[in-house]
This record gives sequence, C-alpha cells and structure tokens, in this order.
Amino acid sequence: MTTTETRPRPHAQTLVARTPPLLRRAAGIGELWTFLILAALVVFFTIAAPGKFFTAYDLTQIAVNAAIYLVLGVGMTYVVITAGIDLSIGSVLVLAAVAAGEWNIHHGGAAAGWGTVAICVAIALAVGAAWGALQGAVVATEKVPPLIVTLGGLGAALGIAELATGGQDPAEAAANNLQNTLGFGKLLGIPWLVILAAGVTLVFGLVLGLTRFGTHTFAIGSNPAASRRAGIRVGAHLVKVYALMGLLAGLGAVMWLASYGTTSIAGHSTDNLKVITAVVLGGTSLFGGRGSVLGTVIGVFIPAVLNTGLIVIGVQQYWQDVAVGVVLVAAVYIDQMRRRTRERS
Amino acid sequence: MSSTTSPTSRKRALLAATTAVLALAATASCSSSGSPGPAAGAGGKKIAMITGVKSDPFYITMTCAAQAEAKAKGIGFTADGSAQWDVSVQRPLIDSVGAAHPDGLMISPVDTAALTPSLKQIQASGTKIALVDTSVTDTSVGITRISSDNEKGGQVAADALAKQMGEKGSVIVISVKPGISTTDARIKGFSEEMAKYPGIKVLPTLYDNDLPATAASQIQSTLAAHPDLGGVFAGNTNTGQGVATGLAQAGKQGVVKVAAFDAEPDEITALKNGTLQVLVAQDPAAIGVQAVDELAAAFAGKPVQASIGTTMVAITKDNLNDPQIAKYVYKAAC
Repeated sequence: MTTTETRPRPHAQTLVARTPPLLRRAAGIGELWTFLILAALVVFFTIAAPGKFFTAYDLTQIAVNAAIYLVLGVGMTYVVITAGIDLSIGSVLVLAAVAAGEWNIHHGGAAAGWGTVAICVAIALAVGAAWGALQGAVVATEKVPPLIVTLGGLGAALGIAELATGGQDPAEAAANNLQNTLGFGKLLGIPWLVILAAGVTLVFGLVLGLTRFGTHTFAIGSNPAASRRAGIRVGAHLVKVYALMGLLAGLGAVMWLASYGTTSIAGHSTDNLKVITAVVLGGTSLFGGRGSVLGTVIGVFIPAVLNTGLIVIGVQQYWQDVAVGVVLVAAVYIDQMRRRTRERS
Repeated sequence: MSSTTSPTSRKRALLAATTAVLALAATASCSSSGSPGPAAGAGGKKIAMITGVKSDPFYITMTCAAQAEAKAKGIGFTADGSAQWDVSVQRPLIDSVGAAHPDGLMISPVDTAALTPSLKQIQASGTKIALVDTSVTDTSVGITRISSDNEKGGQVAADALAKQMGEKGSVIVISVKPGISTTDARIKGFSEEMAKYPGIKVLPTLYDNDLPATAASQIQSTLAAHPDLGGVFAGNTNTGQGVATGLAQAGKQGVVKVAAFDAEPDEITALKNGTLQVLVAQDPAAIGVQAVDELAAAFAGKPVQASIGTTMVAITKDNLNDPQIAKYVYKAAC
C-alpha cells in the first residue's frame, strides 16, 4: 500500500502533460472517492473490533491474500483501458501453473533445485504471455470482440490443463525451494508475495502513467480510429497489452504454486469476476480510455478488507456477499455522480 | 457491462467444461471401460454411473470398485462425472444418460433438490436408481441410498480433533457450500459432538465455494478474531489445501490442528508432513460394490435394502501404518 501512495503525483502530471483535456479532467483525483470508501471501511472495522482488525498480523494477511489478485488486476487495468476485457485469466493461470508444475514433477519434484525453479518460473511466464499474445492477436483483427475471444480462451486453456493432468492436481507441482522463499518467506516482516506484488504494481503503474506505451493504451481505449490516424499501430499495441495480461497471469501462477503448492485446477473459476470487480471499483471505465493502477489497488483491497473485517467482527457469512455487492454498486454510482457533476460545471 | 458478462461467461464455461468432460471421458481409462455394446450375462443389463467430481480420488476409488463388481457379475458398466461440483454441469450428464435408458443408474447428485425432477423422469422411464454418497431430499427417488454415515463421520472427526486440541480452544468448520447432504450431515455431527466438550467453543461455519484462496483468507481472518483458535474442520480437499496455506502464512501450522474428510493421496502426504493432523476416511469402494449388488438384486426382482451406511475411520500419523487403517487410503487411478 505504501508504494502506491507515492505514485499518483507523477501519474497525474504526465497525464496533464501528454493527454487530451477530456482525459486530463477524468484523471486528477479519480481515485479519491474510492479511497475514502476504503478508508471508511478500515476505520469502521478498527472501531468495531478493537485490537483485532488493525493489527500488523491482520494487515499482513489481507495483503498476502490480495497479492495474486493485485498482480492480475494490474494487467486487467491495461486491458480494460483499451476498452477490452479478459475473462480467461483464471484458466491461463491454471494452464501456466500446470505447465510449470509438470516440468517440476519430472525434474526433481518437491526437492527440486534452484535451476528447476528458475525454469519453472520461465515456463509459467512464457505460457501465460504466449496465450495472452495469441488472444491479443485475435482481438487485434477486430473480427471477434475481446469478450468472445477470452471466453473461448477461458474454456480452451482450462480444457488443455485438464487434458494434461487428467483433471487432477498433480502432486509435487511446486519445489520446496520456491514455497519456502516466495511462498512463505518474509523480508523485514513483509512477505515476499506482497513485495513482489507491490513491485509489479509500482512498475506497471509508472509504465501506464509515464511512458508512451501507457499513453497509447489510453488513446486506443478512447478512440481507436483516431489513434490509428495519429500513427499508433493499434493492432500491435493490443497484442502487447493482452500479452502483458497473460504474462501477469503466468506470474500469478508462480505465486499460486509458491503459496499453495498445488495447481488447484478447479479453484480459479471466479478469478476473472473478482479481478474485473476490483478494476471497476477502482474507477477504470469498462468503455475504455480511463482508469489507473492506483484505483485498481484500492479496488482489490475494498473486497479484501470487507471479507476479512466481516469475519473479524463475526458477521454471518451470507452477509459478506451482500456487502461486497452493495459496495461495488455504490462505489461506481458515487464515482459516476461525481464525474457528471464535474463535467457540468 | 459486468452484469452481462457473468451469465454469458458461465454458459460458455459450462459448454467448455462439458466439452472437456466428454473429451476426457473418451480418454480416461478408468471411466469408459464398459463398452455400451451388448454385455454378456445378467440378461445384458447395463449400469451407468455419474459421480460428483470426476477427478476426485474418492469417486475414482468408488468407480473402480463398482466397475470390478459389475464385471464380475457380467453387467455392462459406464461411468462419467461432472468436471466441477455444480448442478449446471451435472444436469446435462444426467439428461444424456437418461436418453440412453440404462437398466440401472448410480449417481451422486450434487444438490439435494435441484436434480430431483431429472432423476424422477429417468426413474419413471424404468431405470433403477441407486443414490451413492450424496442423496436428494425427495425420498421417492432411488431404490437404495448408500453412503457413509456422515453424521457419525462428523462425530469421529470431532472426537479425534478434540483429542489433538487437548480439549480446549475455539474450533471452526470451513466447508464448501451449504445444501450438500453429506457435508451438512458431517457438520451437524461434528458440531453436536464438539458441544460435549466444555473447554471447546464452536465458531459459526464458513463456506469457501470450493476456492482454496477464499479458505486461506478465511482461516487467517478467523485467527485475527480468535487467537485461541485450536482446530479447523475442513470440508474437502480444496478447502484443506487453502486452510493449510493460510495457517502456513500465519505461522500457525501444527499449532492449529486440522481435521479433514477423505484419505486422498495428497492428503496422506499432508498428514505425513504435518500439514493435517486428522483424516476421517470413508469407504468409497464398499459404497460402489454395494450399489452394484443392490441394483443387480433389483434387476433379479430380489428385495433391496433402502438405506445402507458404510463405516468410517479416523486416520492420524500414529495409526497410518496399521494395515487395517491403510486399506482406507483412496486410489488416484484404477
């Protein structure tokens, strides 16, 4: 969380410098309201459960459990800003985990050495990026909408993973070396999973805000035809954006193997909805052209804080789903009201 | 937009899942042995089997035993199962089996009510139904219901876990989802038996929708609220995996004792390396064999036992090597 708080300033500045006035207006303090909602939730739970919610232990566990969704959310932010969507991320994560896991099983299993671990990481990243690039290439043809491309990808990637494993999570898919470092290891009390997720968020948040790659991403989402006339290679850029999403799904697979030690083939069917919820909560427009990584960070943490907080204060579980749903709709509603008010003035 | 996304994606996922199931059914050695061609003996009778989750070693063990028993009796046998524990995934399988009019159907319904109409229709067309493992609320469905005595299993789990916890602290059940007959009965038996220990407080049950990540987050949140947490009863393998990861992240592995149902290969590994402390094993092979026996009796017009409960046993690190206990360990393939 601390890493992201330093980020919005450069982000906003470059947007001011490089993007059209409409975008400039939309950025600015775009994340403030959702951040206030998050802060209000934290304050509420801190008061409601003194000494239980706002503790180093509890904040750490919220961050650890959000880490993978954060990494996926960063990629999804790029995709949604291009007015696209990627429903396949859970399946791509599983496919990448299975590919890496199979290599690990045949090259040392649980006791595998660092060489094997490095190759497994490379395999997971490569499989994810390749699958993402493939989907991006189909999207770039503009013959099939991203919703359908990635819906197809969702089924196909999971199917291939199930074919490769017979539908069963293979044993010894993760090396102890990986689990004991990235999975459960800590640096100065902060879990490596959180550090990795924060690093990825910072880097790609800056890329989105400061580089030409980011500016092109916004431009394509705002108006692909105008972007093309302005000389942006829209197709090639879309391939890169979807490949980035796939790459981060591959990284998510590495993080999953590290912390859970298994491929959990059946355990990722709702990753896409969770991550898209987070991105939308963070104020990124599903119609493209507007959004930020910082918003996504807040969007990931709102449901995470809600779910943990409601358990800590002992609310019956069925209310948790209701609460997350209500907050989602309310946050987007407030966001839209605010925008409209400002655009009128 | 997200509201239009989800139903479409579900449908598509369902389609893909079903396709994957069909593709797997063609390749998996365990499930497609009995060819649908004319089977010898027993008047060419045929039994179809639909399990809850195809890749679950519990159902694989059951399927293997049923298949061997059917072969021994000269009955044709085919088996399939849902890719996920989901009504919308299992119903098409039931409907396709219904269209084939087998003489007998062994099924583990994934919901206590939602599949009743489909099953009644199959039953009305003359197919004898044996409900194995899970069942439906409507008692007119099925000629026999064979399952582990799940309430008893919950009690066995409670006693073993209470012993591991030193009979004090808080204990929580994390299960898959409400409305599944077997897990509901286990939780009931577990909670009632735990209530007999004055030093142990039973917290409200949580459900993780079969997602390990959710279970991991839930167990860590519970630890924040209840630092005296001493035991967890995990509903199934995915939940157990998530609970184990959550405890490891919290540095509480081995401090908080974990009991889980079933004795799948990776659970045995977890028991050996101390991630799990208690396994309550069912006897899926006995369920499969008895279902085939009862269906064969029904084909022959002999009396059928309407309800059979099979035994359960608690496995811990200490008794794992006992051959009487070791035979309960599930198989990953026939």
